[in-house]
Amino acid sequence: MGYSFTLRTIYPYFGDLWQSALNTLSLSLLAIVLSIALGALVALMRRSALRPVRLLGAAYVEVMRNTPLLVILYLVYFAAPEAGVRLSSFMAALVGLTLNSAGYMAEILRAGLIAVPPGQFEAAQSQGMSSAQVLRHVVFPQVFRTIYAPLGNQVIAVILASSLATAVALDEVASWMQTVGSSSFRFFETFVVAAVVYLVLCQSVNIARILIGRKLFPQGRRA
Amino acid sequence: MTEILALDGLVKRFGSRTILDGISLNVSAGEIVCFVGPSGTGKSTLLRCINGLEDIQGGRISFEGQAVQGNPSAIRAVRKRVGMIFQHFNLYPHLTALQNVMLAPVVVHKEAKAEVEARARALFDKVRLAHRINAYPAEMSGGEQQRVAIARALCTNPHLLMFDEPTSALDPETVGDVLTVMRDLALEGRTMLVVTHEIRFAADVGTRMVFMDQCRIVEQGDPRAMVAGAQTERARKFLGTIHG
Repeated sequence: MGYSFTLRTIYPYFGDLWQSALNTLSLSLLAIVLSIALGALVALMRRSALRPVRLLGAAYVEVMRNTPLLVILYLVYFAAPEAGVRLSSFMAALVGLTLNSAGYMAEILRAGLIAVPPGQFEAAQSQGMSSAQVLRHVVFPQVFRTIYAPLGNQVIAVILASSLATAVALDEVASWMQTVGSSSFRFFETFVVAAVVYLVLCQSVNIARILIGRKLFPQGRRA
Repeated sequence: MTEILALDGLVKRFGSRTILDGISLNVSAGEIVCFVGPSGTGKSTLLRCINGLEDIQGGRISFEGQAVQGNPSAIRAVRKRVGMIFQHFNLYPHLTALQNVMLAPVVVHKEAKAEVEARARALFDKVRLAHRINAYPAEMSGGEQQRVAIARALCTNPHLLMFDEPTSALDPETVGDVLTVMRDLALEGRTMLVVTHEIRFAADVGTRMVFMDQCRIVEQGDPRAMVAGAQTERARKFLGTIHG
């Protein structure tokens, strides 16, 4: 007797799946954008002239890379309220995911910063630019160009990691999978559907990233 | 002639290594001072100290009557009035030639874009690159990139131009294009500091030659007279080997 695969039983749940997928998508995209900003700050801290600032940046990266995301999510959602910070499921998931991803983003951005030749900083400084102007107009555009491809890895990692948000009661794709599986008893089908949804989400975002890249960097690869 | 730049007993050290050992120099408006001498004698470092790319360990720098050293806002004020041209051009690779030239006037000097663009286009005519205005640095030859770099420095209307070995990274054919542009600038009466190994250019265009060796100014004077016969043995030997 083989298992007979049928989606018919879980059809009624597909309406909820749309909303769950939107939650996964909005959580992931926000976390990606915010973790790039936070990661940039940490990457700059790691290049600071001040040793304590450098150490703080390095410590942040190591703590975030060496702590399971699940633990961070629990800390933000279940432990932070003890300190008076009470967040919704979505906000807790966003904060946890952002903090975690920023650790990786910082390392990606740091590699991009190292790749900018010292002469670029000197040319910009010699024209009288402030530190912020140097970063904004000369350094970060080059950093983003360098890291645009490796960024794709981290973007997908964030979307997949967002599935852990089910642990803080956020209604996203993984939680849809668990709920529908246990109420329909068609676990195999719901797992497969969830996998397909993640695949489609990741590829859509990745293709969007590539298309945006073509707009941003029209002149092809830098020599 | 009004004095633009005054260096008094400038000392630069990297750790325990001395790079500049008490350099004093005054530069007036309209002078073209060419720094020559063996590599590693601090010529480039001297330029980099003037606009604060290097900090100094002793002495005084004053630019247009204002003390520079150790004061970030004074350093930025100097940088806004001093154009620098680097050996390796250092153009911004993510911007077109035109955008490279326009960036600082718009961002640092807060000038209107249309005004800057008109000035930038005129500068591309001057450096004979009007046809390359929309090219990216990676698409240009070294000589073209260096002429864009000169236009970039000129677009902020600098009171002083500093050239740090502007032709050392170029092949012999394109060196001439860059030197031609520099000759034009000299004819306009621009004040220029030029670190160079092009002794013939220094003799033709320079109003003063400064020979440096072992972290100090060994001799300075009229470039033609120095090339014909320097006072010091050291300068005579160097100019003799490199000349011709």
